[in-house]
Amino acid sequence: MILDLHTHSEASEDSRAPVETYLKWLVRKRDILPIDGIVLTEHRQWDTQADYRGLEDTYGLLILRGAEVETDYGHVLVYGVNADITRRFDFTNVRLSAQELIPAVAEMGGIAVPCHPGRPTIGLCEHYEHKPPIEGVVAVEALNGGSRRGENERVQQLIDRYDYRAVGGSDSHLVSFIGICATEFDADIRSTEELVAALHRTEYRPVDFRERLKSGA
Amino acid sequence: MVVQNREESVDVGHALAALHVRLTAEQVRCYALAARMPGGRFMSDEAARKEGLPGQIVPGNMSIALFARVIAAAWPTAELLQLHATFRGLVRPEVPLVVHGVVTETHRDAHGDRIECDLVLEGAEGDRWVTGTASIRLPARN
Amino acid sequence: MPLEFDRAIIGTEFDRTVFAPISHEEILEYADASGEPLPPADGRSPMAPPTFVLRIRGRRFMPTNLPERVRTAFDAGKDIEFGARIRVGDVLTAVSTVHDIYEKTGRSGTMAFLVLRTVVTNQAGESVAVIDQKMMVR
Repeated sequence: MILDLHTHSEASEDSRAPVETYLKWLVRKRDILPIDGIVLTEHRQWDTQADYRGLEDTYGLLILRGAEVETDYGHVLVYGVNADITRRFDFTNVRLSAQELIPAVAEMGGIAVPCHPGRPTIGLCEHYEHKPPIEGVVAVEALNGGSRRGENERVQQLIDRYDYRAVGGSDSHLVSFIGICATEFDADIRSTEELVAALHRTEYRPVDFRERLKSGA
Repeated sequence: MVVQNREESVDVGHALAALHVRLTAEQVRCYALAARMPGGRFMSDEAARKEGLPGQIVPGNMSIALFARVIAAAWPTAELLQLHATFRGLVRPEVPLVVHGVVTETHRDAHGDRIECDLVLEGAEGDRWVTGTASIRLPARN
Repeated sequence: MPLEFDRAIIGTEFDRTVFAPISHEEILEYADASGEPLPPADGRSPMAPPTFVLRIRGRRFMPTNLPERVRTAFDAGKDIEFGARIRVGDVLTAVSTVHDIYEKTGRSGTMAFLVLRTVVTNQAGESVAVIDQKMMVR
């Protein structure tokens, strides 16, 4: 099962991509982008009312939700957001403590995954150069579709040194970038709870469709 | 699918012809003056460095104008309804740039055909400096 | 270092400028410099290319009661909604307000974003453009 674990819709202030248009695009590009679903990870927010079940039924794609929050070790994707987590952590705060967030999210039933670790200032690699490693990191986003040259490549050293697992995501803010990078799971995933469980315990790997898109194959 | 007045179909996934451009320092200066934004950062390397920049930069508005050029080249008689741009990095003069776009949605409403596009301005190595979207109205067929 | 903004300034108008009638020379100069083609003639007075509206900048580009650091802010992006086309002879009015303020982190570190909204209308009261400009302050 292949999911794009890092996407932004027009709910994020720097994206103009409607969720439905993402799905239409994926259906149209199915032969090149074999994506089974997406996880909406909006910046610094959590909407308790958002409901995409109708779109899931219409387009036959899984739509899950998480969030991208900002910490003192860079940006982090949070999956399995629930009321306990949002009561404890203000997602609008751009100075959350990663040492506190990551273990606490796990205790409260979710999982927090540092994203674009190779990116300057907001990626884990740079912070690990002068700060202690974060307790409880299970996986990092090794493949980010919005990263610049060299940024994804920096992450391998991090993964090797700390034995982190690797995920992939597009970090799409435009419709045409959805699914360009994603995560392939061996497990079948049908809910946020199953996603969290899969990220903790099962086999998965980042997948890169950018060359396929360029060649149109 | 919508049909524009030149009897060519416009489908989701349709790629707009890419614009390959290398803006000279002088072109950037001229634009800054014509656009009434003669800030030092747009006028010379020396003035830009005084502001802590690596050198002269291209105004964001000029990048937006490049988006508009790509759209006008694709559909010369279309009406631009909305344009959105996010500046993700400094665009410098004297470097090769590529501006390209793709149709992501088509609608037909009471006013005619409307197209949504993604737009990207990137450097030669593929780094995306400016990303955006446009909403365009195609004139009704005669 | 975080930049403290008084959120009470959101919604306040900081500039209102009425411009001299648009001349054909200004339009031609802008089109030449931007590379944008002139819109096709439609039997009325000549039109400006769409992004000409970005040239409509009031006397005050920013609110005056802001920290000095804001003066070196960077343009982080724009949202433009286009309305009536700008034509030779148009007398445009631009009204600018503070639309939003927020903070986020990026490659440049912690940044404050000031969103300034400019509404441009013509002599007939028609909306010519609504421009939201995001200014990034480090």
